[in-house]
Amino acid sequence: MSEAKRRALVTGVTGQDGPYLCELLLEQGYEVHGLVMPGEVVPREVPAAVRLREGLLTDGASLQAALAAAQPQEIYNLAAATSVAASFDDPVAVADVTGLGVLRVLEAVRASGAPIRLLQASSSEIFGGATSSPQDETTPLCPTSPYGVAKAFAHQTVQLYRRSLGIFAATVILYNHESPRRGPGFVTRKITTAAARISRGLEAELRLGNLDVVRDWGYAPDYVRAMHLALQQETADDYVVATGETHSLGELLDIAFSSVGLDWHRHVVTDPGLLRPTEPVRLCGDATRARTRLGWAPTRDFAAIVREMVAADLDRLDQAAPPAASAPGPTAARHQPPG
Amino acid sequence: MSKSALITGITGQDGSYLAEHLVSLGYEVHGLIRGQNNPRAAIVRRIVPELHLIEGDLHDQSSLISALEATHPDEVYNLAAISFVALSFKQAINTGEITGLGVTRMLDAIRVVNPKIRFYQASSSEMFGKVRETPQTELTPFHPRSPYGVAKVYGHYITVNYRESYGMFAVSGILFNHESPRRGLEFVSRKITDGVARIKLGLETELRLGNIDSLRDWGFAGDYVRAMHLMLQQEEPDDFVVATGETHSVRELLELAFGQVGLRWQDHVVVDERFLRPADVAMLVGDAGKARSVLGWQPTVSFPELIARMVDSDLRAVAADLTANSAPKPR
Repeated sequence: MSEAKRRALVTGVTGQDGPYLCELLLEQGYEVHGLVMPGEVVPREVPAAVRLREGLLTDGASLQAALAAAQPQEIYNLAAATSVAASFDDPVAVADVTGLGVLRVLEAVRASGAPIRLLQASSSEIFGGATSSPQDETTPLCPTSPYGVAKAFAHQTVQLYRRSLGIFAATVILYNHESPRRGPGFVTRKITTAAARISRGLEAELRLGNLDVVRDWGYAPDYVRAMHLALQQETADDYVVATGETHSLGELLDIAFSSVGLDWHRHVVTDPGLLRPTEPVRLCGDATRARTRLGWAPTRDFAAIVREMVAADLDRLDQAAPPAASAPGPTAARHQPPG
Repeated sequence: MSKSALITGITGQDGSYLAEHLVSLGYEVHGLIRGQNNPRAAIVRRIVPELHLIEGDLHDQSSLISALEATHPDEVYNLAAISFVALSFKQAINTGEITGLGVTRMLDAIRVVNPKIRFYQASSSEMFGKVRETPQTELTPFHPRSPYGVAKVYGHYITVNYRESYGMFAVSGILFNHESPRRGLEFVSRKITDGVARIKLGLETELRLGNIDSLRDWGFAGDYVRAMHLMLQQEEPDDFVVATGETHSVRELLELAFGQVGLRWQDHVVVDERFLRPADVAMLVGDAGKARSVLGWQPTVSFPELIARMVDSDLRAVAADLTANSAPKPR
């Protein structure tokens, strides 16, 4: 049935990356199925052409049913409880979704007997406490949060099913990646939203935790391209997807606030209550393998990403009702609630 | 006031040895037991009459909270796991649930009930899998090659994470293979010593095994439970490798076990590919230098002595079975 459309099943379709990936797959001619939780509100960013299937990563039978209904050749497992900070509040639920979830997907693939390819969205948080920088695919894992520990479990499980059980299961080890669709709980979006709101006089200050945090921040639409490429290879492998550049929260604040003509030093208050119990030190990815084997390269630099996010947040404010004293926050895409 | 301890996996090999050891030190010892009418409860009760059993299941966090509230332990030893590597390939999700996520449920129950409780996690040399260096230490990177190994790596990391993030006294003991007459029959050492006894007593003629070239660092379980206890008596929580530092092949084990009863293993052992694991680990040998220097721990039973004890015990058990019944129970 080579003339038939290729079919993909995407989990985590309501997150930041899900809609970008669905758009890419639809452009490439795929029939795209999206796994959503029963009763989940599906944001408008998810393309209408995506066929929604209900299922839970915590329920293997529901995954088997989704596979039987969608008959995918490719699965993209993006679903996870994505907030690192919230993972400290409920490590058990995080492990069940983020860790065991991929194991249930793999077992459903195995049970189907079909040659389904799996892409697992791993995270740089698996390197949390790495002692060397930059990290690549051979760097020993060293997770430092319940989220990172669960992602490490998922990563090693995918490697095991690839090496020992012959399943085409690849991972992309994604460093932080942002976009105007980033959830409001993430620090980048929190900053760009605050810069926009402060510039419109809706707020006066922004409270942040550790300003020394340094990250390798890329552009989400670039990163979903790497996911697709990783499944189009002869063999499955692991790929670090990163820019290789690091920037501090201070730099992010500089770009975001100066793009609306403000000085962040006059608006930012550091709040020890927002510090994570443990904080990874220097995460910077070496994406040489993705660049050479997948032909992948990022298209947006850091400053351009931040400016695009601030501009999008300003647009949202301006499209909303005339600014009132207690204007509600932007109606952004909802992430799956952690847990 | 005497100390109190709660042990999960109480019906396993290590559970009974640890319970005996803690009772001998004056502890009030509670064992977590799952299921209705668990047939193994009677066995462990017979070995350790002082033991108190309490119901609970690593699948069910509220049952763990109840068990902690009922027993008020100073120390929790998490020995429960789906611990047989071959089974973990067939029940990967259940292995992740119990061997992996079960650790988090217990740690979180401790955090809720009383974060001062000291926690011991039974980690495993299977975490090293395809080893990146030999011998393995506390700093060797993990490369697990079975669902069991992956789940144990998760348990290790989450234990370290609760220590570093929540300041709990939570430690991980990376234990290399450890055996005893109480080892389960599914494990190769006991499978061999039981097979030797059956062949010696004329019940069987052959023994089918997988890879007899596998190399392992085998110690005595009774020695290893002492290290668990010592880890929770330190000033600062830390992780330790517990191993003999010696490596032996299954072939050497066969020599010793068959030799003990005056037989040649070559006359009885059949290598059966069905018993080969999808991805077998190559050479595991631990460097317990840190446990020796910091804990003052060392093994007391040598490999030949360990195998001799196991063969003698199985000879007695099989002979007793023969006397009790005209036909011994199938394994």
